[in-house]
Amino acid sequence: MPPHRTLLDVLRDDLRLTGTKRGCDEGECGACTVLVDGKAVDACILAALSVNGARVETVEGLAGPNGELGRLQRAFIEAGAVQCGFCTPGFLMTLTAFLRGRRSATPDEIREAIAGNICRCTGYSQIVEAVQMALATR
Amino acid sequence: MMDLIGTRVPRTDAETKVRGTAVYGVDHGEDGMLHAKLLRAPVPAGEILDLEVDAAARMPGVRGVFTAADAPVPRAGTVVKDQPLFASTVVRYEGEPIAGVVAETEEQARRALAAIRLEIAPLPPVGDLEQALAPGCRLVHPAWEQYECASDFPRGGNLAAEMLSDPDPAALARAFAEADLVVEGEYRAQRQYQAYIEPKSAVGRYQDGRFVVHTASQFPFNVRDQVAQFLGVRVSEVRVVGHHIGGGFGAKLDASLEPYAALFAWKVGRPVKLVNERTEDLLSCGCRENAIVRIRTALARDGSVLGRDVDVLMDNGAYSGEVPLMASLPMHVFGQVYRAGATRVRCRVVYTNTAPTGAFRGVSGVYLYFALERHMDECARRLGIDRRDFRLKNLIGDGATTLVGQVLEDAGILHEAFERVERVAPWAELTRRRGSKGMLHGVGIAAATWLTNPGPGTVTLNVDEDGTVGLISGATDNGSGAVTMGVAQIVAEELGIRPDDVIIRLPDTDAAGYDAGSQGSRTTHVVGRAALAAAAEVRQKILATAANILEADVADLELTGGTVRVKGAPARAVTLARIAAEAMRSSGPITGTGAYVTPMPAYDPGCARGLLFPVFPTPTYHVHLAEVEVDPGTGQVHVLRYVVAQEVGRAINPTGVRGQIQGGVAQGLGYALYEGLEIEGGRYRQRTLEAYRLPLAVDVPDVEILLLEHGHPAGPYGARGVAEPPIVPVAAAIGNAVADAIGRPINRLPIRPDDILETLEHRPST
Repeated sequence: MPPHRTLLDVLRDDLRLTGTKRGCDEGECGACTVLVDGKAVDACILAALSVNGARVETVEGLAGPNGELGRLQRAFIEAGAVQCGFCTPGFLMTLTAFLRGRRSATPDEIREAIAGNICRCTGYSQIVEAVQMALATR
Repeated sequence: MMDLIGTRVPRTDAETKVRGTAVYGVDHGEDGMLHAKLLRAPVPAGEILDLEVDAAARMPGVRGVFTAADAPVPRAGTVVKDQPLFASTVVRYEGEPIAGVVAETEEQARRALAAIRLEIAPLPPVGDLEQALAPGCRLVHPAWEQYECASDFPRGGNLAAEMLSDPDPAALARAFAEADLVVEGEYRAQRQYQAYIEPKSAVGRYQDGRFVVHTASQFPFNVRDQVAQFLGVRVSEVRVVGHHIGGGFGAKLDASLEPYAALFAWKVGRPVKLVNERTEDLLSCGCRENAIVRIRTALARDGSVLGRDVDVLMDNGAYSGEVPLMASLPMHVFGQVYRAGATRVRCRVVYTNTAPTGAFRGVSGVYLYFALERHMDECARRLGIDRRDFRLKNLIGDGATTLVGQVLEDAGILHEAFERVERVAPWAELTRRRGSKGMLHGVGIAAATWLTNPGPGTVTLNVDEDGTVGLISGATDNGSGAVTMGVAQIVAEELGIRPDDVIIRLPDTDAAGYDAGSQGSRTTHVVGRAALAAAAEVRQKILATAANILEADVADLELTGGTVRVKGAPARAVTLARIAAEAMRSSGPITGTGAYVTPMPAYDPGCARGLLFPVFPTPTYHVHLAEVEVDPGTGQVHVLRYVVAQEVGRAINPTGVRGQIQGGVAQGLGYALYEGLEIEGGRYRQRTLEAYRLPLAVDVPDVEILLLEHGHPAGPYGARGVAEPPIVPVAAAIGNAVADAIGRPINRLPIRPDDILETLEHRPST
């Protein structure tokens, strides 16, 4: 593994897991967010070598064992939180980490949680509502 | 009937997008695919003294290196053929392609790029609009006269295009002579980057003697035409295959990397992929143009506008995309909301040594309305009349004639929109409010009329043997939901099936009829109309086949829930699947096609010279109100409340309509307060998404949305265009609110904290 290769390179180019998106390559847009040992990180600025032995979760792993959508994914569909959808995998991963072990969240807390992910389409309101919807269906 | 119109049906592609399985343009790959990188100009202007590529061609993995010598035609362009594929003797903007390297891997291509020897003698860039038009300024295109031009309009030297309307100079002079008050203002706006999250990409292949290009384009047929132009071939020799689009907002209407991908694939005989890195995407993107707007208005003491003189400068950048068309926009904006008396409008589009500018949602309108509405506030203040009252006094009504001679039959909707906003946000009460804890409180209001793009579209529907309906169209859904909600819902409603059973094929110019692309809010209105016609043909065939099966009269049948039933005898029913299968044996497969184009409204062709964009078809009406607090210590603006009243004709899908309004306002807030590409010596100061500040979740309030639904007679179920205009009056409303808060005019976009602090410190209080 060449040291300059990022986790995003490995996911997209070697493993062909193209659900994780490359938006800026500088850790700014959040489209490449994945979970490493449960923590949301930007895969585009993380050396692949540094996650050796860690548990990496991507958007492809959010559905259940039989392919059934998770509650956050369902809420994104229902709330209209998806437009072009290119940022969606990153938001889903950031919010998956945020929601783990959490029973409630105020809109302001949700907005703070997603302040590292850029969505150019929705203006964010329907993403915030999707999170509230997912919390309500827990 | 499924009663689907006006309901919140999820978009048909939402599931594949939340699973991460949707294939975007940048995700597309092919067997044996090579990777290419472009060598881009490191300076905004200069003479190319030496370009040596032999060493690069010998690098490991390299399969080809290409330069201007390989370009099939010298120049191409939509309006003016002024743009080469590669710079050869001169560089005209930073980021302009000079050479391309094709290699087995992206890394090898990148290394080979570094091995190209390029020597440029830099020239002082023509970087500024006023400088470009000054006498003696170096010409960006000394050979401009030799360029082929599609239409006839005034141009010459660094003046890329001019639109001029001065129908009655005597009346204008009289208006200014008789005025009680003359108000002048100058308004400036910087460039805005579309900043879609998916960078531009393209995969080219040469197969069976034709060029195949895979790309995430808003307008595949336009890309087809432009690739054909750059390659010097007929349009039928190019096939463009669409993919999911990771945002476009206008920037993915024109070809960008596609001609290079097609050319390289042809030259090397293997598929070739190009993907922009973020900085090269930003540097080469057709951003919203920077502009200067100057307005003089002659006023009577009672608040009547007697006359107006408008002068606009727009930055074309180094090559003409569609900005020469945008030169017509002031003619619309300054006559389709407020009466202006005798009016003269001049708009000049100027060549500079900067990246070519282009389409961004709400083209030119965002800063033209900012200028007009800031100016309206200033006029009201100088007259001592309430800002809202001044607007209402001059607001046009039903049957108003605009400056181009177009009649707006239903412009009285503007009055209703003001009234609707008033009901939830009473002006007198809001403007009396004071800021909390030392904050400065301000309110702004702005109105706009906008269009629904009229371009043609088609839909073909095929009923499959499983009872689903395949939808083939060149229409694209760049995220708006226009196809995956609007058109899908219309087809489902007409054919009595679930929206999920409308299977939408992504666009392919080999399979679908012509479509004018995802622009100007046209898709639900125009393609929806085409879908209605296609569905009517299919419906008629379904019922005829079912009548045979059920031995019933067509008039006694109803089509709902995926079946045809005899009314009043629910047991006598047959499924769509069986009907489709039966038709194979009897009348042939069930298929239907519809086409539509909006008829052009009448106008006065003699009203102006250079009017390349003459009318605003299927108009929509908008009033926005913003309430802000400004921190006088930091200059930070907090948007407390944002209200939108918008005429949509009919909200086919309220979730989708809301998403467009909320998202459009967010982009407008970015434009008003944060976003701007500053040009310094011909170069952008902001070059990454870190430096280019985009609105985040913590910046954008929940927009209060008031829908007006006056169905348009031509629209499917009355629908008009929805998605583009929510961005249009935002900078105007925010600008007015901030100016109100700080008690001083602020006439430059974006309005950044430093500008506010400087204004508070230096300008005399009003």
